[in-house]
Amino acid sequence: MMRTVLLGPQRFMTTAGTALRSLGVDGPVATINAGWEEREDDVAELDQVLGGNTSHLRLHHRLLDVLAKDAAFAAAALTFRDRHDALLALYRLRLGFALDAAYAVQRRVRDAARRAPGDGSADGELAAYGALDDAVAEVRHVDAWYAAQLKELYRELDERAPLVASGVIGWHRGEIGALLDGAAALVMPGGNVGTLLRVLRLFAIRIPDELPVIAWSAGAMALTDRVVLFHDYGPEGAQEAEVFDRGLGRVPGVVALPHARRRLRLDDHPRMAVMARRFTDEHCLLLDDGTAIEVGADGALPVGARILGTDGAVHDTQRALS
Amino acid sequence: MNTRRLAINRLRERLPADGAVIDRFIARHGAPIIEGERATFLFRGAADEVWVRHRVVGLPDPLAMRRLPGTELWAVTTDLPSGSRVEYQLETRRGEHYERFNDPLNPIVAHSPVGSSSVCVATGYEEPSWVHEDPEARKGEIVEDSLQSKALRREQPVKLYLPARYTRAQRYPLLVVHDGQDYLDYAAMKTVLDNLIHRLDVAPLVAAFIPPRDRLVEYPNHAPHARFVARELVPMLEGRLSLLDEPTGRCLMGSSFGGIASLSTAVRYPGDFGSLFLQSASMVFTDIGTDHGGGPAFDPVVKFMNRYRAKPTAPVERIFMSCGTYEPLITPNRSMVPVFRGTGMTVKYVEARDGHNWADWRDRLRDGLSWLFPGPQKFVYE
Repeated sequence: MMRTVLLGPQRFMTTAGTALRSLGVDGPVATINAGWEEREDDVAELDQVLGGNTSHLRLHHRLLDVLAKDAAFAAAALTFRDRHDALLALYRLRLGFALDAAYAVQRRVRDAARRAPGDGSADGELAAYGALDDAVAEVRHVDAWYAAQLKELYRELDERAPLVASGVIGWHRGEIGALLDGAAALVMPGGNVGTLLRVLRLFAIRIPDELPVIAWSAGAMALTDRVVLFHDYGPEGAQEAEVFDRGLGRVPGVVALPHARRRLRLDDHPRMAVMARRFTDEHCLLLDDGTAIEVGADGALPVGARILGTDGAVHDTQRALS
Repeated sequence: MNTRRLAINRLRERLPADGAVIDRFIARHGAPIIEGERATFLFRGAADEVWVRHRVVGLPDPLAMRRLPGTELWAVTTDLPSGSRVEYQLETRRGEHYERFNDPLNPIVAHSPVGSSSVCVATGYEEPSWVHEDPEARKGEIVEDSLQSKALRREQPVKLYLPARYTRAQRYPLLVVHDGQDYLDYAAMKTVLDNLIHRLDVAPLVAAFIPPRDRLVEYPNHAPHARFVARELVPMLEGRLSLLDEPTGRCLMGSSFGGIASLSTAVRYPGDFGSLFLQSASMVFTDIGTDHGGGPAFDPVVKFMNRYRAKPTAPVERIFMSCGTYEPLITPNRSMVPVFRGTGMTVKYVEARDGHNWADWRDRLRDGLSWLFPGPQKFVYE
C-alpha cells in the first residue's frame, strides 16, 4: 500500500517526527534534502526530529561530484541550463501577456456585472462570449507550449550526454539504489525546488510504491506531476505563478502550494480564481504551517484538505477528492 | 490632525531666553526638529546672516534663517513631506566673510566624492536594512583587475565583483557599473550585492566596477568609452569568467553622467546589451534652441539627447530608471519615460523624495537590481 504524507513547512511547527511515528515504520529513514544545497550536510536538527536512524542520500553532494568528474556531462548540463534559461525567459514573456489579458477580461466581466446588478444582462452577454474561459485557455496553452519545449530540451540533453554512458553517474546511482532499498521510509524536506528536481532527474530517482514517504515544502512539490512556482510577496510584488518542471508524479492531480498564506495573495479572489481555473485539472493544495494530510495512491485528497476553488476562495474539502 | 504648535514657536513665546534655556531646547529637540511634515533648521552662533543651503527643487535656496530676538539662535521652518531625505549645509555671513559647513547640531552626515553634507531625515524615511553588513550573508569577492584599452589609450582598472559560491558550472549575468569606485565607496554596493543575493532578492551576478579618468569627457556620448565597454571590456570578461552569452545577460548602469554613458553606449551598440539601470541620468534636452542651462559640460549631453529624442531607438529590451523628486533632473527623467516606452522598450520608473546624491542611488538599488535580475525566491520553499 502506497503511503504518502504531505506536511506544512517545518520551520515554526515541527510535525515530521509525529508523522513518521504515525506511519509505524521500523528501520532507517532515507532523506533527500538536496534542496538545502551546500547546507545539505547540516542535518543535526533533522536527525533529531526523525529519531536519529537516518541515511542521507546527499544528492547535491553527488551532483557536484558528477560535475567535477564528468566533463562531458558538465558541459552538456551547462548548455542545457543556458537553453532552459532562454526558454524560461520566453515563457515568462508570453505568460505575462496571456495572464494580463485574462485579468483584463475578468475585470471587464466583473465590472459589467456590477453595472447591471440583478438582471445580469451585461454580465450574461459578456460571459456568453466565453471570453474569460478562452483567455484562461490561452494561458493553459502557453503552459503546455513551455512544457512541450522543455521535454524536447531534456530529449536533446539525453541524446548529447546519455546518463547511462556516465560511469560516475552510474556509480552514484548504484549507491543511491542500495540506500533506498534498505530504507523503511523516505523523508523529503524543502529548499530549492529547482535543485531538488535537477538531482532527482540526474540520478533517476524512483521511489518504490511500498516505501512510505513524508515530504514538505519543496519536497512536497517534487512529488507532484507538475511543479508550479509562485511568490506574490517578493521585492517586485506579485509575480505570476509559472509551471517549472515535472515532478516525480507520486502525487498526481495536485499542484502543491507550500507556505500559501505567506506566499500568495489569498485575499485577491479574482487573481486566485484565475489560478484555480488555469490548473483546473488539478487541485491547488495549500500546505501551510500545521498541515498534515495523507494522500491516497491515486492522489485523492482526504476530508479537510484546503484547496483553491475556481471562485478564488480557499475551501476545506468536505469529502475525499480524487 | 496634529495642531500642536511648533517647538520653535513655543520657544519664541518664552523669550527672552538665556543661554541655559537655549541649551535645554537644543538638547531636548536636536536639529533639525522634525514635527509632522515640517522641519525646523537651527543654528547657534554669532553671525550677520545665516542660510540653509540645499538643492531641493521647489524650496528657495538659499533658505534664510531668522535670529530669535535676544539670542544667538537662528531658525527657519519649511515643509518636509513624509519619506523625504534632504542633504544640506549651513552658510553664514560675518561682515564680508562667508562660510559653508555641515550643521554642527546634526550628527547625520552623508559622504560623496565632492565632500560631505548634513542630512535631514523626515518621518517615514528609513534607511534600508540591506545597506548594512549582514554577518549571515555570504560574502562575495572584489577582484582588482585591469586591461590595456586601445580605445581609451590607457591601462584601465576594473574591480570585479564575484558573488559568493561563484562557480564555472553556472553562468552569471554581467552588470557594468559606471563610476564604479564611487558606487563601492558611497553606495555600499558590495555590501548591498552580498545582502540582496543572500536574501534571494537578486540573482547571483558578476559586476564590473569601472572608474572614469575624466568623466565629463568620457561619459557624455564618447565613442572611445563606448568602444572600450562594448568591444574590449565585455569580451575580455566573457573570456575570463562564466557569463551568460546573450544580451539579456548584460546590463549597463550609471548615475548622473554615468547614466548618459550607459545610454549612449547602448545606443552606439544596439543589441549588445539587454538592459540599462539609469539613476538620475543627466538626460537634459531642449525642445527648441540650445539654451539648456546646464553649462558647457552639458553641451554634448544635450546634443546626444536631442538627437536621440528626434529619432528614438530601442537599443535594449528593458530599462530601470530612478530619480529623486527634489533634483532638477526630475523633469527630463519623467519626460524620457514615454519616449523610451514609445520605442517598445519595457521601462520601470521609480521616484523618491530625495535628491541627486549617493544615498538616494543606494536606496534604489534593491528596486532596480531585483527587477533587472530577479533572485531565486520563487524556487525556495523551506
